Amino acid sequence: MKKHPLCRPWEHRLSRRQWLGSVAGGTLGALGLGAIAEPLLADELKKKHRQVLFIWLDGGLSQLESWDPKPHTQFGGPFRAIPTSVPGIQVSELLPRTAKLMHHLAVVRSLCTKDNSHSAGVARIQRGDPKNRGVTYPYLGSAVAKWLGAGESGLPPYIWVKPGSSGFITSDAGFLGPKYGAMAFGDGKPPENLLRPPAISSDEDRERNELRARLDRRYAEKRRKENTEANAYVYEMAAQLQKKQELFNPATFPAKDVARYGSHEFGRHMLLARRFLEAGVTFVKVNSYGWDTHGDNFVGHSNMVPRVDQAFAAMIEDLADRRMLDHVLVIMMSEFGRTPRINGHVGRDHWPEAWSLIMGGCGIQKGALVGKTNDKGTFVTSAEHDIGHLFHTWFQALGIDTQKVEYDNAGQPLPLAHEDCAPIKELLA
Amino acid sequence: MNDDAKTLRDRFTPKEGKPLLLDRQMCALRFSPSGKILVAGGTDATVRRWEANTATFTPLPALTGHHGWVQGIGFSPEGSRLYSADSWGELRAWPTQERTPKPLWNVPQAHDGWIRGLAVSREGKVLATCGRDQLVRLWQADTGAKKHELSGHNEEILALAIHPEGKFVVSGDLQGVVKQWDVTTGKCVRELDARVLHLLSRLQDTGGVRALAFDPQGTTLACAGTKPSVGGNVQGVPTILFFDWATGKVKHTASVGNDGDGYIYDLHWHPAGFVMAVTSGNPGVGKLFFQRPGEAQPFFLSTKMANCHALAVHPEGKRLVVCATNTGSNGNGRQLDKNKEYPGNYSPLHPWTLPG
Repeated sequence: MKKHPLCRPWEHRLSRRQWLGSVAGGTLGALGLGAIAEPLLADELKKKHRQVLFIWLDGGLSQLESWDPKPHTQFGGPFRAIPTSVPGIQVSELLPRTAKLMHHLAVVRSLCTKDNSHSAGVARIQRGDPKNRGVTYPYLGSAVAKWLGAGESGLPPYIWVKPGSSGFITSDAGFLGPKYGAMAFGDGKPPENLLRPPAISSDEDRERNELRARLDRRYAEKRRKENTEANAYVYEMAAQLQKKQELFNPATFPAKDVARYGSHEFGRHMLLARRFLEAGVTFVKVNSYGWDTHGDNFVGHSNMVPRVDQAFAAMIEDLADRRMLDHVLVIMMSEFGRTPRINGHVGRDHWPEAWSLIMGGCGIQKGALVGKTNDKGTFVTSAEHDIGHLFHTWFQALGIDTQKVEYDNAGQPLPLAHEDCAPIKELLA
Repeated sequence: MNDDAKTLRDRFTPKEGKPLLLDRQMCALRFSPSGKILVAGGTDATVRRWEANTATFTPLPALTGHHGWVQGIGFSPEGSRLYSADSWGELRAWPTQERTPKPLWNVPQAHDGWIRGLAVSREGKVLATCGRDQLVRLWQADTGAKKHELSGHNEEILALAIHPEGKFVVSGDLQGVVKQWDVTTGKCVRELDARVLHLLSRLQDTGGVRALAFDPQGTTLACAGTKPSVGGNVQGVPTILFFDWATGKVKHTASVGNDGDGYIYDLHWHPAGFVMAVTSGNPGVGKLFFQRPGEAQPFFLSTKMANCHALAVHPEGKRLVVCATNTGSNGNGRQLDKNKEYPGNYSPLHPWTLPG
């Protein structure tokens, strides 16, 4: 292929950092915070080998049927509250197993976020809702994959276990470039054609890959780096996954574990997530869909929440038993909570005004309770926390100082999280 | 509509009266056997009462002491007692003659959690309850002593009914399984298949048996809910399965409306051989309809009321009251009322009068 006769825009980029460096002697970062050089930070973080389990209940878990019950009040719903292993913290009766493990976890009841629509809310929350600078920020998984890397496992740093289809989801990566996308295991299965067909021998496969790599290098000489890197990267990750097929082969899952996590979709996916974490995957996201309970909210939560409780509690027990909670940050949340008001369809609608999440591990204060809502559960009465506060907190727990580290978006320095927010100190041990 | 249906329509098409607006949402509604008192179980843990001799309802003091939602209410056949059950598992018996009664007895943990159904046998000696704990329990109605515990469902039980002859109880669960229990032995003697009323939508068991009612002769069991198409914002078509009691087979299925029309929450038989039922679907969508088994369409249908959750039929069969929901009951995010307060919803009670 002939080299393009005209130069491309990215070949003319002068990074803002380069420019600032030239005019200010390189002593100040764009934020004036003395940014840490990326390679140094990466080396330091790799040594610590921190990981994340991010559980996403898509559609909106009701805070009133989970972490912030208001029993026997106007909007409290039909369920009771039960005590937990932490005196003073009560949760819905639908979460009896997690209640016994609350001493490993922390509850935040003061979330007050901006968006009450799914279409914008999901991305807004998972990107940390940073200040709008006209760029697309990465999802948390892509961001962590960038900063923490793949670790020694050689496995993809960002794996997404979800219902539906498999594939390499590049849209999560935003300005980081497609390389930092998610390797999706749809219904726990690897992407189609990831595994070598039996008709092709391993020698033939190696030769084919060598040829492909040579062609890739030639192709890359004339192309944008981010895209060609991602293309090669996917093949590398596929090769690594081929070596570790037992990880995601359900036939190798012990029956005892399947029973503990639950044979339902979420249980199977959480068990797979644990195996990925044990194998060293840096960021594992598990999605559960169907939480948009505008109708029949209470019967819906009555059977869905106990299934989540079963698998989540089994996960926390296993991570604690294996001493993995010391370095695995666990987060379970949605894009918003649900309205206190109960609509005519016996459902609850979208409510970003006052909602909750649960988290733990990796230096998160054990047994912490942050924030308070009023007696009816309608609004936050303590300091409100936006998703930006959580992003600062999570990065901090992972050893990434958001006051000192910044993204370099092809020369444009960008903060990791909304600069008007800060870590929630009560959550950090 | 055939000639028979037209005749039924002409004879039984009711007229709507002026609704009574309450301050909270109610989930159960019944007339006393004399028809003199109307009772509603609320999401505010109260049991509301009204003198209902005339078309005008005069409030009586509410019964308090429950927790959560009062979804189960029923009367003894002669009307001297009112039974109520809540979502925290408590069962209570009240005298009906007093203006401010105290419970005759109560069982604080009749079930572990939400009691979804309550029925009283025709002779008044047995009380049956069912709930989220997957159990049916039979109680001695005069003392509250437990007679039997019936276990075998694998999901929460949402509805139950006692056969008119009093020998059997039927219970229906979230997965559409209906079990027939022998009241004397406490054994399950038969299972009826209403699984068409259930859908596993991702992680969510959706639908289930929401109402059960025997015809007065005990020859047909109406089993109602929805044919669900998706969970989450549950969508489904209100559906009644008419079981032939002798064979246990479905002899007719009546689906009324479309996917957004949701559930049949309550239904009763009219002595003339049709069922009167109410539905609730998407916010604002509700129906009252009269349907005879075997007919393709209801011979009476009203869509004027929003989200109907309970139906009380006066013992003389000439008056109905529908517990519905205010319009504009839904909406995402912070929507405050004109007083800048966060609004709750409430139940209008719609009275209807049948001809004659």
